[in-house]
Amino acid sequence: MSGLAHRAHPFTPATVALALAVMALVAPPPQGTLLVYVVTVGIALLTGGIRGVILGVVVCLPFWILLVIMHGVMGDAPRAIAVLGVALSTAGMAWALEQGLRLAAIVTASLVFATSFDPHRFLQAAIARGWRFDMAFLVVATLDAADRLREQAVRLREAQRTRGLRIGRSLLSKSRAIPALVFPLMLMSVMEADERALALETRGLTLVGPRTSIDPPHDRSIDRMIRWAALLLVGATAWWRFG
Amino acid sequence: MSPRLLALIPAAIAINLVVGQVASELALPVYLDTLGTSLVAVLDGLSGGLLVGTLSQVLSGMLRGYVWLAFTPIQWLIAVLAALAAARGGFGTVPRSAAWGMACGVACGLTSAAISFLLFGGVTAAGVTAVGALFRSAGFSLPAAVTAASMLTDILDKSISFILLGSLLRSLPLRILGRFPLAARAVGR
Repeated sequence: MSGLAHRAHPFTPATVALALAVMALVAPPPQGTLLVYVVTVGIALLTGGIRGVILGVVVCLPFWILLVIMHGVMGDAPRAIAVLGVALSTAGMAWALEQGLRLAAIVTASLVFATSFDPHRFLQAAIARGWRFDMAFLVVATLDAADRLREQAVRLREAQRTRGLRIGRSLLSKSRAIPALVFPLMLMSVMEADERALALETRGLTLVGPRTSIDPPHDRSIDRMIRWAALLLVGATAWWRFG
Repeated sequence: MSPRLLALIPAAIAINLVVGQVASELALPVYLDTLGTSLVAVLDGLSGGLLVGTLSQVLSGMLRGYVWLAFTPIQWLIAVLAALAAARGGFGTVPRSAAWGMACGVACGLTSAAISFLLFGGVTAAGVTAVGALFRSAGFSLPAAVTAASMLTDILDKSISFILLGSLLRSLPLRILGRFPLAARAVGR
């Protein structure tokens, strides 16, 4: 994590990402949606979020291909556009372009935000703002738990392989592997949650009342300006579409 | 919020995210990304399940794109049906779990097809869209192909999920099961 997005107040990238997602939904397609996507990529490059842009392309690529197949190749007549000797549906391709650009803008905005998101800074900011602690804690604890469980899943897969689990190419072979890979993970999670409940209770995590943030992120005037600007741009985009 | 629920919710959301990823890595035409939601709905009741479903979808949206937030009602539907199945002792045996899973699959498949067709033109997750493309190439109209693909994958997905969940509940130690009266009723203890 580096760049402006990481240095900004945690609420600023979240607000910008949400604003871009809303703008992608309300902007008039395809030119408005294309503009939102270009702006999203531009913001990502300026704030050090290039990884999110690349991930966005990786995530969107299968959808773009499926959109062309489902709506372009298999779409209704009239067919006018020809690519590699295949006549594509005009209306289908227009819909595929509209949907593909919208998806790209939303996915890229989400992934750029996710790759710069620091759960612990978010928790500190939430405490400083006086948000409900249990809800803020849930976000952080979940991201920690997901990382831990992901590592356990990798270790479990290796352990089951050494015990003789073979995952073949057939659907039946893969389906047979599910209980061996999933069941221990779920059991482990329930047992751990039972122990963690006791730890949370003894540490007073469920007590109500104000809490002190140890190191609250500084909410600069530029952060506040960006958040207001994002809100105004959402309004302007809605006016462009519906006004 | 009770400490038990506060500890259980992150674990359940992690189950949704990670098990969904395992299924995706195996390239299976199922999602298995609602196991945590149904687990909490059975252990703690409907409100916990609804919370897990919503938070899972928000976090999953953050990591895969906010467009998938449109499928949040599916998570709610699963929480409702899992809690209902638990109250009726629906996880006592494998056939009972499978039957409730199939019923849940039908309800979720129809809802998912409507969301998928109306908002995304039938193009969503790669597996279900590939199945939809097969139906489309067989001459089905787009709405029919999307509905058939969603029903097929959801029935399979929810049946497997409910069978796994039933097996998990039946194998839980009594000292843990005893803390969750609904789960104890779900397996008939």
